[in-house]
Amino acid sequence: MEKDILIRVDNISKSFRKVQALSGFSLCVSSGSIFSLLGPNGAGKTTLMKILLGLVGSDSGSVTIYDLPVSSPLSRRNVRYLPENVTFPSWATPAILFRQLERIRHESTAEEFRLRCTELECVDLMKRPLGKMSRGQRQRVALSLVTAGKPELVLLDEPGSGLDPGGRILVRNLIRNLSSEGATVLINSHLLGEVERVCDTATFISRGRLIAEGELDSLSRQTGLAYIETGNAENMKLSLEKLGYSCRIESKGVVAQLPDPSSFPDMARSVLDTGIRFSGMNQMRESLEDVFLRIMQNDSEQGDDIVS
Amino acid sequence: MIRNRGTILFLNGIEQLLRRKIVLTAAIATVAFLGLYWWGVSAASSADLSMGHGEADMAVAMLGPEDAALAAILTAGPLAATLVTALIIVIGSTMLPEEIGQGRMPFWLSLPQTRLKVYLSLGLAPLAVSYVLALILFGGIFVITSIYFPFTARNIPFVFISMLAWLTVVWAAVMLLSLVLKKIASMLIVFFLSSIASLFGGLYEIMKMFPGDTPKALETITHTVIYVFPADRGYRGVLYGLIPADAVITENLAFFGVTASVPSLHLVYAFFWSLVLLSIGYWKFRRMDF
Repeated sequence: MEKDILIRVDNISKSFRKVQALSGFSLCVSSGSIFSLLGPNGAGKTTLMKILLGLVGSDSGSVTIYDLPVSSPLSRRNVRYLPENVTFPSWATPAILFRQLERIRHESTAEEFRLRCTELECVDLMKRPLGKMSRGQRQRVALSLVTAGKPELVLLDEPGSGLDPGGRILVRNLIRNLSSEGATVLINSHLLGEVERVCDTATFISRGRLIAEGELDSLSRQTGLAYIETGNAENMKLSLEKLGYSCRIESKGVVAQLPDPSSFPDMARSVLDTGIRFSGMNQMRESLEDVFLRIMQNDSEQGDDIVS
Repeated sequence: MIRNRGTILFLNGIEQLLRRKIVLTAAIATVAFLGLYWWGVSAASSADLSMGHGEADMAVAMLGPEDAALAAILTAGPLAATLVTALIIVIGSTMLPEEIGQGRMPFWLSLPQTRLKVYLSLGLAPLAVSYVLALILFGGIFVITSIYFPFTARNIPFVFISMLAWLTVVWAAVMLLSLVLKKIASMLIVFFLSSIASLFGGLYEIMKMFPGDTPKALETITHTVIYVFPADRGYRGVLYGLIPADAVITENLAFFGVTASVPSLHLVYAFFWSLVLLSIGYWKFRRMDF
């Protein structure tokens, strides 16, 4: 519905000297979604994010947030942005930075900042200068600063940068919490595993063009693999191999190769016929990484065709 | 409570500058400079200059404390000016480029405020810090001198305005150049311009004393320098306002252009020119991609 569209990008183009960063790019982002921008390096993702904030001007086309052109400062009201490589002064503590920032934006309280720091497990760093923190700690502090309070739109450029696996889990939870609080989150990240876990919508960009978009489920295809979760994996594997399926034991079950993706129902009957108890069975879908590689491969081939 | 975002960004910029080592170094240098000045002036005040019977000694004997004050101010003024100029050039040429280079500029610009506010508020911080330092330096020179050689300054309000005109020109030039050139290049160019402006500013005063006797080419160059970089007019205004009103040797020095008055129109032009440079800088800043 019209009123649900928070960001509207209409046919924008942007070039930096001889490099075409974006070309005839259009996009709509619904309010409340967790949206990811995916693409190889130099695809135009960061340029798009910066155009949304008015940091980079587009050569043509229009961009609106809350139906306001991005040239208007009001379009950035309650909008938060974490750049990829921001370096805050080394002498500053999180408490000082928050005070400086909040004096300008007037959108959150010290208590809300504290809560966010607690969520990102950096509340004990409040009085430590940033110069004495690790990269991961600085990133968590930066995320707390940016997301404190109740933002309506959060743009995160590589939010998992410099974080250890524990930190990435915290960021994943943060993004989910922001969404549940009503915020629209736009993520630009190369960590596809992280994106897959939190995002519900993705846009694939290559060479400045939109090449695919949609909900993650609709983008990923069924694969020719089935997974059967069972406590008796060895027997299940042997039984299925006797029936002609190529199998391997993985985690708590068996992964079986299907003759073709549409033959899953036949295999399901075969599994039932074995009489071996199993707790679940499903046809495996492409991971986001598989989707990414497939889409980029297709785009590359099309590009080659155009060139040839 | 201050609610204006631009003012707050300016205060944040000041806070940021005050924590920088260069500003701390300048503050220490200021204290050291004033300490040395105090020591020198106090030593000079206790010296007996009326001894002897020669013609020169007789001439010295005619001089009053105002003349001693004038000599002290004219000796210390250029050194203080160099310190302030160096500071404003260094912090002025690094403020915006550092915010850009460290990736903080996109962060500030993503807040709901105009680019003009970001440009002016962050940019004004170096001018404010340098102006305060200049006030402390020249104020200190005035106070210390008047303790040992009591005198009445010619025009103290004129000092405040001239100082602002002088620093604004240097600041606007360095702000503009720092957006189009590398930091070190912008620093060197403005330092060079300041030196040249000081030299030709002196020549301009001397030329006024000998109208028609100056080669045309030199006159053209002098006027061009003064119009392109009018910082020296402000600095001379500072000295003019600060020096004693009734020193005996003032008139003699005026002949060489050292203590000549600066027309107010020159200061107005300096402010106008700063505005032009600042506008060009903003034009560039507004079109920059971050």
